[in-house]
Amino acid sequence: MAEKIRILCIDDEARILRALKALFREHEVHTTSDPKLALLWAKSKDIDVVVCDQRMPQMLGVELLREIKRVQPRAMRLLLTGYSDLNAVLASVNESEVYRFINKPWDNTELRNLIAQAASIARDVPILPIAPISESEKEQARRTASVLVIEDDPDTQNRLREILGSHYTVRFANNAERAMQLLEQHETGVVISEAETSAGDWTTLIKLLKQYHPQIPTVVITDRANAQLAIDLINEGQVYRMLIKPVRMGTCRLSVESAIGHYWQLKQNPQALRRFSVSPAKNSGGLLPAWLSGGLLERIKKLPRRLLGSMA
Amino acid sequence: MIWMLVILLLIAVAGLVWLWRARVRLLLENQATSEELKRMQTTQSQVIHTNKLASLGQMVAGVTHEINTPLGFLRSNAQVVTELLDEHTQIVGKVASALHKFDQVDLAQPKAQEALKRLLPKMQAALGNDERIAESRALLNDALEGVDQISSLVKNLKGFARVDRDGQELWNVNEGIESALMIANHQMKDRIEVVKNLESVPLVRVMPSQINQVFLNLITNAAQAMHERGTLTVSSRRNGETVEIEFSDTGSGIPSAVLPKIFDPFFTTKPVGEGTGLGLSIVHKILTSHQGHIKVDSTPGHGTRFTVSLPVDHAALKSHSVMPREPA
Repeated sequence: MAEKIRILCIDDEARILRALKALFREHEVHTTSDPKLALLWAKSKDIDVVVCDQRMPQMLGVELLREIKRVQPRAMRLLLTGYSDLNAVLASVNESEVYRFINKPWDNTELRNLIAQAASIARDVPILPIAPISESEKEQARRTASVLVIEDDPDTQNRLREILGSHYTVRFANNAERAMQLLEQHETGVVISEAETSAGDWTTLIKLLKQYHPQIPTVVITDRANAQLAIDLINEGQVYRMLIKPVRMGTCRLSVESAIGHYWQLKQNPQALRRFSVSPAKNSGGLLPAWLSGGLLERIKKLPRRLLGSMA
Repeated sequence: MIWMLVILLLIAVAGLVWLWRARVRLLLENQATSEELKRMQTTQSQVIHTNKLASLGQMVAGVTHEINTPLGFLRSNAQVVTELLDEHTQIVGKVASALHKFDQVDLAQPKAQEALKRLLPKMQAALGNDERIAESRALLNDALEGVDQISSLVKNLKGFARVDRDGQELWNVNEGIESALMIANHQMKDRIEVVKNLESVPLVRVMPSQINQVFLNLITNAAQAMHERGTLTVSSRRNGETVEIEFSDTGSGIPSAVLPKIFDPFFTTKPVGEGTGLGLSIVHKILTSHQGHIKVDSTPGHGTRFTVSLPVDHAALKSHSVMPREPA
């Protein structure tokens, strides 16, 4: 990138700030420990990328990022953290919609690449409209796109049918093969999925789907949550919302409504897609789970264009 | 007469048999009781042990966070300093090769002298004022501080867990308060302000790992009682023949109906799966075994104050009068 990237770093440890400033010495780096100042600068310095610590005395990182999202929506938001409890990670997905989660200690090359990538998105990729879609558009979205639930627990299936059935076309799959069939046959606006079940790890499917079809938001509903699983789902699967079982009607409805709105907006604004994309994880190279070997990966890549709106 | 004797004899034998049976029964019962007692003691020490493991888990989480931060800038700085030194080496190389060229010309020539005059200040600036050197020095200085930060964490950790010793020791409670606060720090950092009023106090003779467990339990409880933001005030002072340590929070408080039950084993107000209901009963048990006490005052909606007291060690008192507070 020819032009200097404008980076805003917030951490309560001055030495972390100095380290980041030295690491990005070729760019324009603003550092502070004061969340209020950070919020002011995000707009006034026209920041491209925000790197924020999760735990600070005055305000949580996720809270600050949520506010920054409001004042400087085009900036990409990254959390840099030494230790994360599950609640903090969930909030970073559900409230501040972070782009990536980085663990301390970080790898300099990886962090530089990530910031460069985030900055290019922040500058070149337009944001989605901030206003939610209208009631008539919602109606249209519901008629056009269905909700796919990947879940093998009958109780949760029933619960989701009860919560969503009257508003959406909900289809259920309790294995990967069935999920693929439904994806191939119907336009899918939201995928709701458990993370891990007795049948196996669904996260690989969620991540692959995101790699090839970033327009479909994923809502993960799980009872086996831990912070690392959630971080992986953000970094490699750009999970849209993450909820913990038992499924609550209000949160579940809100999440699905917001997700389908997101899908619809992306359908109208496909040029914004890169903001929500993930690149193939480097460690999932050759080792795919057994159920994916039966040509499923190829099928994921080749989902029919007609079902993907104008953006495939 | 003889049959009377026989009857008496029979009665005596029956009596003896009965007595024997009773004795056996008593013995058996006694054995059962002592087994039961042993079992209970084992359970109790298991419970203390489990609680200790839980505090260890908590400690690992806390320390992970505290150590990963210095590790973050240490790793980055080491790499950045290498880059800066590489860049500086390149500059040195350029200057050296420029100087090398003068080696091949006749320096008596006015042209060469002019060129040298022109170049020398540039070389001087490039070598002498390279801000990369100052930057490297600052980054290395941070790195050194980071190493010290990690060392003091490890020292604190060792002090808290007492992995290398387990027994009674003469001990300064302030040391325990500092390390317990350090370990609980990650639970409080972002929302709870900690105020320390630690006075110079006489030494106590205790098992430090157990008293540390008491402190950590009380601090964790206080942190959990303050759902949003709040203040935890920790004080230590001498009160006559005891050392008093006070943990006072601005949390939700304990309803007076519940207050008498809080030290009972398995009593908990937390949802199933969130608390064992053993924390405070362990605190009580540990303090009793140290001839110590715990007292509680609480105002629902305003906060709770736990006061721990431990007897001053008289032998230590004679030789040392008062121990100054150890720095954190």
